Amino acid sequence: MLGFLSARQTGLDDPLRLRRAESTRRVLSFELNSDREVDRIHGNGINTLDIEVIDGRYMLSGGADGVIVIYDLENSSRKPQYTCKALCTVGRSSRYVHRFSVETVQWYPRDTGMFVSSSFDKTMKVWDTETLKPAEVFQFQGNVYCHHMSPIARKHSLIAVGTEDPKVQLCDLKSGGRSHILQGHRGEILSVRWSPRHEHILATASADSRVRLWDVRKASGSLFTLDQHNREKSKASSEAVNTAHNGRVNGLRFTPDGLHLLSTGTDDRMRLWNSATGANTLVNYGKVENDSRKGLQVAVSQGCSAEFAFVPCGSSVAVYALHTGERVTTLRGHYNNVNCCVFHPDYQELYSGGKDCNILAWVPSPRCPDIEDEERGAAAQEGAGQPAANRAFEDAWSSDEG
Amino acid sequence: MDHAQREKLSELVEELTTSGEPKLNQDKMKEVKKICKVSNDYIEHVYHLIMMQLAQEHAEIRLSALQITDELFSRSHLFRTLLVSNLQEFLELTVETDAEQPLPPPQEVARKLKTLAIHTIQAWQDAYGQAYKKLALGYHFLKQVKKVDFNDIHARTQAERRRLEEKQKRLERIYKDKVTKAIQEMEEAIPDIEECLTEVENCIQLLTPHPGDFNLGSLEPTAASPSPASMPPGHHKEPLVSTVDDERPCCSKDLEDKGAEELKEVTKKEEEESSEEESEMEEVPEQDAFIRNTGLMSRTYSLALDISTDVSVKETEDNEAVVNAMRDLHCLISTKHLPAVQSWVKLFTKAGGNEVLLRRALDLKKGLVKALQKHKELHIEYRRRERRVVKAGTCDVEEEDDDDDFEEVPEKEGLELHIPDHLRAEYGLEPASASTSSLKLAKPVPAPQPLPLPKRCSYAEEQDPTCAAATLLVLKQKLASASPASTSGGCVEPKDKEEHSQDKAKAPVIPFGIDLYYWGQEQPTAGKMIRFSSQHQFWVPHEVEEEVENKELSAQMKSRYITFAGNFEPITHECRAPMPNGTLCKRQDRVKCPFHGVIIPRDDMGNPTNPDDAARLEKERMKLQEDQPDWRDPELMREIEAATGEDLGSSKTFGKGKNGSKGKGKKYSNLTDLKQSTNTARSRLERKVFNKSAMRRVTEAMKRVDRRKHEKFANQFNYALN
Repeated sequence: MLGFLSARQTGLDDPLRLRRAESTRRVLSFELNSDREVDRIHGNGINTLDIEVIDGRYMLSGGADGVIVIYDLENSSRKPQYTCKALCTVGRSSRYVHRFSVETVQWYPRDTGMFVSSSFDKTMKVWDTETLKPAEVFQFQGNVYCHHMSPIARKHSLIAVGTEDPKVQLCDLKSGGRSHILQGHRGEILSVRWSPRHEHILATASADSRVRLWDVRKASGSLFTLDQHNREKSKASSEAVNTAHNGRVNGLRFTPDGLHLLSTGTDDRMRLWNSATGANTLVNYGKVENDSRKGLQVAVSQGCSAEFAFVPCGSSVAVYALHTGERVTTLRGHYNNVNCCVFHPDYQELYSGGKDCNILAWVPSPRCPDIEDEERGAAAQEGAGQPAANRAFEDAWSSDEG
Repeated sequence: MDHAQREKLSELVEELTTSGEPKLNQDKMKEVKKICKVSNDYIEHVYHLIMMQLAQEHAEIRLSALQITDELFSRSHLFRTLLVSNLQEFLELTVETDAEQPLPPPQEVARKLKTLAIHTIQAWQDAYGQAYKKLALGYHFLKQVKKVDFNDIHARTQAERRRLEEKQKRLERIYKDKVTKAIQEMEEAIPDIEECLTEVENCIQLLTPHPGDFNLGSLEPTAASPSPASMPPGHHKEPLVSTVDDERPCCSKDLEDKGAEELKEVTKKEEEESSEEESEMEEVPEQDAFIRNTGLMSRTYSLALDISTDVSVKETEDNEAVVNAMRDLHCLISTKHLPAVQSWVKLFTKAGGNEVLLRRALDLKKGLVKALQKHKELHIEYRRRERRVVKAGTCDVEEEDDDDDFEEVPEKEGLELHIPDHLRAEYGLEPASASTSSLKLAKPVPAPQPLPLPKRCSYAEEQDPTCAAATLLVLKQKLASASPASTSGGCVEPKDKEEHSQDKAKAPVIPFGIDLYYWGQEQPTAGKMIRFSSQHQFWVPHEVEEEVENKELSAQMKSRYITFAGNFEPITHECRAPMPNGTLCKRQDRVKCPFHGVIIPRDDMGNPTNPDDAARLEKERMKLQEDQPDWRDPELMREIEAATGEDLGSSKTFGKGKNGSKGKGKKYSNLTDLKQSTNTARSRLERKVFNKSAMRRVTEAMKRVDRRKHEKFANQFNYALN
């Protein structure tokens, strides 16, 4: 650390390097910490989380009971302990609340004044954050599994919606109507993702175990289908041709640079694809436990020297090195299946939501205080409210057992 | 880390978890803690061991492991961190958070494990929830997702505790009341009892003078005549009597309280007249003793009579008052004082804390029991005429040994094992009339026999009157009754005749029927039916049996159903056998209670009034519990042990059965055996219902029903075909 700092001071290093090194260190030291808590509002499992990108302050969460909550993540109290407060809630008492489980929530990428949620009650609602009233409601034929707005789009404001119907629908926020239908899949659409690099590129994952990439300007069909065997075995097994997984594909995520695409499937595999060519990079992540019937929200770190993928894996969150496939660590804290996780790129924090109604904040463990700090801190701690916690960490062997 | 210590730790944990007991062995636990205290490495080791044991598919192991966990959790930070980091698994294994991983059997232990685990988590959360975030999360998870209501547990346990306390208090109050009442009663009764005891003592003294009260000279002539049938009178040697009496002072007690001189005179006379007045002479057992001791006994005598302990006192005019008093006292003790004292003892042991009173009550009881014992030893023979009255209701202490020895009575017809109360007097007299002349020697018959009834025969009470064997026996004896009846006295025959005529008079008049019409005739056509061949135009059954014999019909010609015309007599008696809870059995069976066997007359305490019954029951009980002393019931004994802290040996005799059967040769014999086939009512029923023979029987019955249907509709062509 000191080396990085001195190198930075002398101007030898690129500023990015220090930032990346520190980010990586922080990500690697994720732990469940009593410093950071999230208000318990949801009375049921949490399906989806989203942090807005504008100032990284507000987080949306959607629960299985249809409730949507907005949290304030910013800690302005200047103390390490902080509980993320729920700013406002679309609770069961609201007349606009989703009747069934909310599957996806997403902030409007350009403004926190609007967010979009989709639910199993076959609707997608566009909300006004101020009034917490839906500005627009889209009705669909089947359950809505997922939707996504392009984070970078300037030329269009399309929302891709994946439903029970194998056709991917594109809704235009400008007109409030449905502009496109993308045909090609044969199963439910479990995940849709816009590329963060090209605003017209869309990736969709379906229960028919295929992942297709689309250029929405091209009406005739998908650009290509991801093939797990890179078209080498296609002759041998016509069944498995052009499939990304051997089961339902329920998670998709572009890397922040948009060069790669991560997909997870119920065959307990995770694959990394080159999003430009559609080639399987053949990174071996090992077994990634996954038995979700719905979409799974995978997170990828941003700004680290080696990027990490955070994948819900049973009741824990597995952290993988994205390009080597190595499982770095497992974050165990949930008491039931984890549905979603979201990475905060500015503070290097991870929020995960699970069926046990908890939203857990994984924050970097604080640095061990240096020797000088310790001496200073010891004096300060005398009077502070620390001892209560400290006493719990002490051993309590009674003398008569010696 | 020391390898030996490590090994020891593993062993200790295994022993602790496989003990199968609800509480941990404190010494072993202390040792575990001692080892763990040394180094964190041991704690890690012990953590892994515990997690391994927690994963075992046995609730008892898990329960013990949970208890160890709790002990260590409160002590070591490292252990806490380790456990909290894996709290999910811990909860799955103890609180059953995963529905797909239910807690292992046995059920009740699993339930206990779950409650204990929830309590433990609650306690941990209270103490360490602040410091260990995951613990708090787990707690909230249980609380909110699994809807484990910790507060309710708290409240419920509190409510339970309060209820328990209240119950305890109420019980205590009741006991207190009872105890004060009992003390009062005791205070009132003690003088009575003591008086009673001294009276008994005095009576006994009067009835059996102490050997010291006699001078030997006066005793000598009392040695009376030998048995006339067996013994030539000349063999009688007087000096020997004194030696015998010297050797066995108790023999002198055999004396009756008759006027000694009178007796002497009588007996001397009898010596000379030897063969006469047999019955009179038999009253004096010490003569037998004497004869036996002189070695001049005849082989017709049974040697089983133990004279040294047998004391027999006979009621005469002279000692009537004393004997009467004695009998009254005996009744008083056995019906009033002894039960009262027993109830006090029970009460004091249950209530506890009254050691002095308990001891006093026990002393009293001992005294009373002793008095009863002495009374029994006396073998007082009450006079017949009074006895009839006495015997019916109260406790009669006729020595049954005498009867056993001499009553070789030939079996009589009309065996009647259950003797109603109003017949008991007759029963009592029966043996004398039945006995043959040779056996009469032994029988003490002081009074003339009123109406001997040969039919009343007490025989083989063990035999069950409800079973077929008994009935057969009765029939057999009826057939064989001719010979014994002829020998047993003249009054029998006229009686039989009389009965016969009575039977005739009683015989019912049966209406004339078809069976009587054809009485004794052979009927070739009876029950035969002629079936006509079908008149149908086209369809003809292929083989028509023209004549069909209907068994039912033919049977009707020859037999007759007689409906039972007797009157139903409601049963008025009860079984009245004493039950473990102190009450008497209320069952009203005609002959035999399914729980307590043949119904016999019993007194208010449930003791059989008939000594024969008592002896039989005694024998049965002895057989049942061989070495177990019957003078105190095991529960009372255990209670007394608990109350006084002395070991009376109840655990030795009663605790054996339970522990012996537990898994032999098993690795952990202390744990409940999960594979043990459950002996539930359901399984027993299943065994009964689904066994092969029963199934076969059922299928046969069903088939029969099926066939009957075919027979019933035989005239319809579609049934007639097959």
